[in-house]
Amino acid sequence: MVIEAVKLSVSYDNTQVIKEVSFTLAEGVVAVVGPNGAGKTTLLKAISGLVSYAGSLKIMNKDLRVFSAEERARLITYVPPLVDVMPDMSVGDLILSDPLVSKELLEEYIELFELSSLLKRRLSKVSSGELSRALLAKGLSKNSKIVALDEPLSHIDLRFQLILLKHLRVLSKGGKLILVASNQLNPLLSYVDRVVALKKGEVVFTGDVASFLRSSTPERIYGVKFEVVFKDGYVDIIPRELA
Amino acid sequence: MSSLEIFVLWRKRRFLTTLTLSALILAILFFTHLSLGYSVMNPLNVLLSGITQLITGSLGIEGYRVLRALTAVVVGATLALSGYLMQLSTKNPLADPYILGVSSGALFAVSLTLSISGYVLHPLMIGVRTITAFLGGLIAYLATLFIASKAGMSPTSLVLAGVAVGTFFYSASLLPQYFISRDIHKLIAWSMGSFVSPSADALILMISALLLTISYAFYVRHPLNNLQVSDDFVKQLGWDPARLRRYSTLLASLITSFTVAWFGVIGFVGLAAPHISRRILKSSELVFVLPTSIILGSALLTASDLLSKVLVAGVEIPVNVIASMIGAPVLALAIVELRRYGY
Repeated sequence: MVIEAVKLSVSYDNTQVIKEVSFTLAEGVVAVVGPNGAGKTTLLKAISGLVSYAGSLKIMNKDLRVFSAEERARLITYVPPLVDVMPDMSVGDLILSDPLVSKELLEEYIELFELSSLLKRRLSKVSSGELSRALLAKGLSKNSKIVALDEPLSHIDLRFQLILLKHLRVLSKGGKLILVASNQLNPLLSYVDRVVALKKGEVVFTGDVASFLRSSTPERIYGVKFEVVFKDGYVDIIPRELA
Repeated sequence: MSSLEIFVLWRKRRFLTTLTLSALILAILFFTHLSLGYSVMNPLNVLLSGITQLITGSLGIEGYRVLRALTAVVVGATLALSGYLMQLSTKNPLADPYILGVSSGALFAVSLTLSISGYVLHPLMIGVRTITAFLGGLIAYLATLFIASKAGMSPTSLVLAGVAVGTFFYSASLLPQYFISRDIHKLIAWSMGSFVSPSADALILMISALLLTISYAFYVRHPLNNLQVSDDFVKQLGWDPARLRRYSTLLASLITSFTVAWFGVIGFVGLAAPHISRRILKSSELVFVLPTSIILGSALLTASDLLSKVLVAGVEIPVNVIASMIGAPVLALAIVELRRYGY
């Protein structure tokens, strides 16, 4: 198993945000879904070693706490949705600021996310979608075994959503575990292998996409009735009315 | 060539051009500074005889001029570096040791020490002045950060907190001055920023502190670069962002306090130099911004001190007056720009 969590808890200021959750995850693309405030970002940050936690978290059968900072940095990458930056930083400055990135991969991602003409541009002058693409290029160029993408679909347009999701499938075939926290079930769930659903800090479902959509979990966690259409290996999730 | 290689080359070339030009400007200002004064002298002769005098220890007019010009260069570099570190650790382009109240805190502490001891320029007081200046500066900085954090830590709330703390300490520093009878005019001249009494000991100590801080900044260049983006990125490099801020803050306060202990309060160089550097370089990369800021800070202060001694014949205008008149408009510009970016 790539990730094995046992009774994992995370608290901020005495409030438990993740409550004794246990799950295992293998290679593949995993959707982390759940309503606002369910703990998606916190779970991703705990796995990435960015917040302190209670319980046990094993990465590649080794306790996350015993990794050195450098080992952990190479093994796991967390990509935030957006960032506030100092006004004079350029897109090029941002994507080159991590000493662990591979230059060859960075060039590939500049192509993939169409950043060539934006490299000199100041971050204060790019759109949120362009900033989001730059953050993805920076994060993915580290070539980590585990990649945690926090709301990567929220700012980029449909075309880049498709480019990203198709690329994540290719990466997962190469043996990576990619976690994607998002509320955009469309188009996300057509491109993932598994779903981890959270509600109020608890993991209420882990399993494949079809069983997730056929269960009562989506309606329960979002409070919305969905119509689900399976077609040619894709799924279409249409929110119909409030439950 | 890939677009990334083109960008990397463009950024490096821009840096090298900027660095060469600013070094050239600094050299011109430095030699002009050596040349001008009560009498106009050949700058090369001043430099050569001055260095000889400094080595032998028998200081004449040439030695004095070299020492004073070098002091302006080193203090300018120090303030620029201090401002840059404060900007990085508060993620705020408006940060500067003067604006955030550090200089005034150091000024108050030294003023108080001097009024208690009764001595102003006794050599034994140099060490005491340095330590109290550091403590005063640090306390003021922590007070500013505390108030700003209660007000949401936005760039403007940090500046306003700095104004509150700075004004308090600046006013408080005026009080003890009324209880000193000896050397009162020297004390007042010092508090307004002056290189009239340069000291070789002070210069050596400041150069050491400057080199130490530059080495530190280069050593942590990757986490410092990422501190401008997100604490999560710093953590992913294996660094604790809080600890990084703490060390940067301590060093920035320390080197600022050294300059205040000997040469009084000099504002806005720490704000202007990094700001102008980033603007010309079109980059925020530390490896480029830091050297450029240091040289521009030196150039700014050498120019200010030059003006302070030649603007009015026979009168030394406090160097802070000139430096602030150059630096404050940069603050105004920076505020307008920040507003445009929706801060």
